[in-house]
Amino acid sequence: MGGNVHVGLAALGAALAVGWIGAKASEAVGRNPGSATSVMVQSILAIAFAEAIVFYALFLVK
Amino acid sequence: MEHGLSQKAVEIARPFGFPVTNSMVVMWIVAIALILFAQNATRTMKQVPDGPQNLLEWLIEGLYRFLEGVIGHHLVERTFWFFGSVFIFILAANWFGLIPGVGSIGWGHVTAAGFQLDVPLFRGANADVNMTLAMALVFFACWIVWALQEIGLKGFFKELFAPKSESAGPMRVLMIVVFFAAGCLEVISILFRPVSLSFRLYGNIFAGETMLETMARVPHVGWLVQIPFYFLELLVGLVQALVFMLLTAVFTLLICQHHEEGPATAHD
Repeated sequence: MGGNVHVGLAALGAALAVGWIGAKASEAVGRNPGSATSVMVQSILAIAFAEAIVFYALFLVK
Repeated sequence: MEHGLSQKAVEIARPFGFPVTNSMVVMWIVAIALILFAQNATRTMKQVPDGPQNLLEWLIEGLYRFLEGVIGHHLVERTFWFFGSVFIFILAANWFGLIPGVGSIGWGHVTAAGFQLDVPLFRGANADVNMTLAMALVFFACWIVWALQEIGLKGFFKELFAPKSESAGPMRVLMIVVFFAAGCLEVISILFRPVSLSFRLYGNIFAGETMLETMARVPHVGWLVQIPFYFLELLVGLVQALVFMLLTAVFTLLICQHHEEGPATAHD
């Protein structure tokens, strides 16, 4: 098997994190629909930081 | 080219020694179309808008209100030109890339297995990392200018490195060290922003095009299995445009938001 396992692991972690953030954000909007905009801003920021892990990993590709 | 979509845009012409790639062609078409549309829509402005003017006003006003809710009245007035244009351009470029013919019209050669396309005439503008990196770098320059105008050079460094908690004595020294170290990390993450912004957009659009191409290669039913993915790509194009605009807007808000607190702390 070739390739870079760490990129796959980073993608797995980022995907789990993005899904988790999205689930929690939807839950929060469900509880308090009035806060939809601020919840979306927070969750998009958090998703961006979680996603960035994959880019760090991509830069370590040998 | 191996089968599948190439990772880079392909050069299709070199007039006067200036290389023109297929993604540049799409970028120009999208940009010219947007400019012509905006000019056409605003040529005869009506009090009660209809047709293109109505569409444009609906889009701009909707975006403006949305951004105002996110980054506040003061910032949106100054920075809407950037965020509005970036959203509309990315959205238009993403959706233009989905029109049949983009990526499938071009030059190629006939092989035993059929016609093999070598150089497509069009390629989604955001499926080229140069385009997305250019937008991210323009934002980065704007971000620095806005930050310096809003909070000044001193405020800029204070925001990055200065301790944000009130404490006295040895705790204060510790806090200065801790917040300075955190500031160094913050600087690294800020320097990484253009990279992650550009790779996020490029990666999503490129992956989408690759997926559509792979689906089209499914024997016999390729035309059918593509259809749900086309709808997915319509959604991804919208979401990625929104994400790019929102992230850049929030980054701007994060560095500029202490503006209102500035005068209050200056008094004590």
